[in-house]
Amino acid sequence: MEKDTLILSFESSCDETSVAVIKNGKEILSNIIATQIKSHQRFGGVVPEVASRHHVEEVTKCINLALDEAKVDYDDLDAVAVTYGPGLVGSLLIGIMAAKTVAFAHDLPLIKVNHLAGHIYSANFVTELQYPFMSLLVSGGHTELVLVTGPGEFHTLGDTRDDAVGEAYDKIGRVLGINYPAGKKVDQMAAIGHDTFNFPRAMVQEDNLDFSFSGLKSAFINTVHHADQVHEELNKDDLAASFQGAVLDILSNKTFRALKQHPVKQLVVGGGVSANQGLRKRLAEEIEKRHLDMELVFPPLRLCGDNAAMIGAMAQIQYDKGDFADLDLNADPSLDFDM
Amino acid sequence: MKILAFDTSNKPLSVAVVVDGEVLAHVESTEKKTHSISILPDIKNTLEESNLTINDIDLIAVSKGPGSYTGVRIAVTVAKTLTDTLSKKLVGVSSLELLAANGDKAHILVPLMDARNDNAFAGVYQNSRDNFVSIMQDHHTSMEKLFDALKQYDESQLEFINATPRLQELIQNQFPNAKIITSENSLPDAAKLAKLAETKKPVENIDDFVPTYLRLTQAEHDWYAKGHKDNGNVSYVEEV
Ligand SMILES: [Zn+2]
Repeated sequence: MEKDTLILSFESSCDETSVAVIKNGKEILSNIIATQIKSHQRFGGVVPEVASRHHVEEVTKCINLALDEAKVDYDDLDAVAVTYGPGLVGSLLIGIMAAKTVAFAHDLPLIKVNHLAGHIYSANFVTELQYPFMSLLVSGGHTELVLVTGPGEFHTLGDTRDDAVGEAYDKIGRVLGINYPAGKKVDQMAAIGHDTFNFPRAMVQEDNLDFSFSGLKSAFINTVHHADQVHEELNKDDLAASFQGAVLDILSNKTFRALKQHPVKQLVVGGGVSANQGLRKRLAEEIEKRHLDMELVFPPLRLCGDNAAMIGAMAQIQYDKGDFADLDLNADPSLDFDM
Repeated sequence: MKILAFDTSNKPLSVAVVVDGEVLAHVESTEKKTHSISILPDIKNTLEESNLTINDIDLIAVSKGPGSYTGVRIAVTVAKTLTDTLSKKLVGVSSLELLAANGDKAHILVPLMDARNDNAFAGVYQNSRDNFVSIMQDHHTSMEKLFDALKQYDESQLEFINATPRLQELIQNQFPNAKIITSENSLPDAAKLAKLAETKKPVENIDDFVPTYLRLTQAEHDWYAKGHKDNGNVSYVEEV
């Protein structure tokens, strides 16, 4: 029986300060998440300098809570892991400095984790991953299709050419008078409304795996502005349903196009938008409709947004490979899979 | 007392280990290196040069600002995490006071951090029995306002420290007889930081230790300017 591995993990790439203790990459002993949403709601979106300041306020509290809740001490730890990109540079730096300091102070190996890889490996807490598997990454910063061919082996198949899907939700949310983050509310309204506006489904005809949401967003905004000008009252639930209908068509079209090219046994969805109920339902229906023998994996709601547990899951793979970082680790705000 | 001191509040980076008043090792970099990359390797090297480990250190001393927001955050995050994780003592020193330590003790010392557009972070310090006493609180100010406030002093007694070329020009116009130490000649010195820290009370609650920015973010400033009020006691961050 092999010895257990305990990794203290840090995540601070955007507006959540999170520290977790993860056992063997599979078991969450603690996963403390301090969210700044309330703060940024004052400004209608994440303000980087405000986010960085909050991370400094929270970081040691989160470390101590994570250790307490996991009932472990520094002596029990085997490594320290941290998100080093992509994300807001000022935010990333706080987690990186704290993680490097803990690694240095306790002479622990340091593991630098790609935030996107973390989102994908949230699935590790749900199921036994079987390679290769397909991953659909949907968040405020990213919309990607990634084929994972082995532990920590990522191949980006498609990416967004403009806005990320979560970003599009926030932008049309603003037009509907919904404060950031708008995804949850739009999802709820979409469940009530009907897809009556026939917004464009960008690039679904094109034979590639890339996404585009800016045309949809503009069509949405133009529709609302035009109605405002002629003093016409539009049904907001129908607007939400029409927007979400187009989003789901685009996401599902590209995802199943990718799955046709790369038949796999698992479809793993990750990132903030993976909490979307409409998306969960739609992908399940499509799999059934196509009679695919494929497991659909969504993270539990708590692990859809940014959290350090997922960083610990990915870090375990790197730990097993001996993939360690040095104390001169810096943030890489535009990090992606393809180096 | 064994002190590890470091400063990243401006472009230079300075790390020192000082034991019972004696500087055992000292790393200075004036190059435009990235503090986030170099600070921990520099701390490690400084300790190794001193033949000490981090566990031997009794007190961490850090410049807590004002200065470059990112720079100050880097040092403060390392300092508070190090202190917390190893249960050490922590002292935060004003980065302006640290600059004042580069001045002539007989003078009225005006340390500056250029904050662009003819603004600066500034303080006024005087030396009294080997201690620096703040006679005007560190604050963010236009140079014009600062000059007004300094008119009460004898011009030849004034010594401006860490003046960028632009600030130097402004000072010379206003106080041609004042002494000016340029930014190249007033590097923050972590050995002096250690010495200043010895005279100060350690931080009581490490979690609450944050940089002294002396300025709200633009977004918060605008938000309050619109008439929003939070009575200063709203918690904007919550554990979920
Ligand atoms: Zn994320």
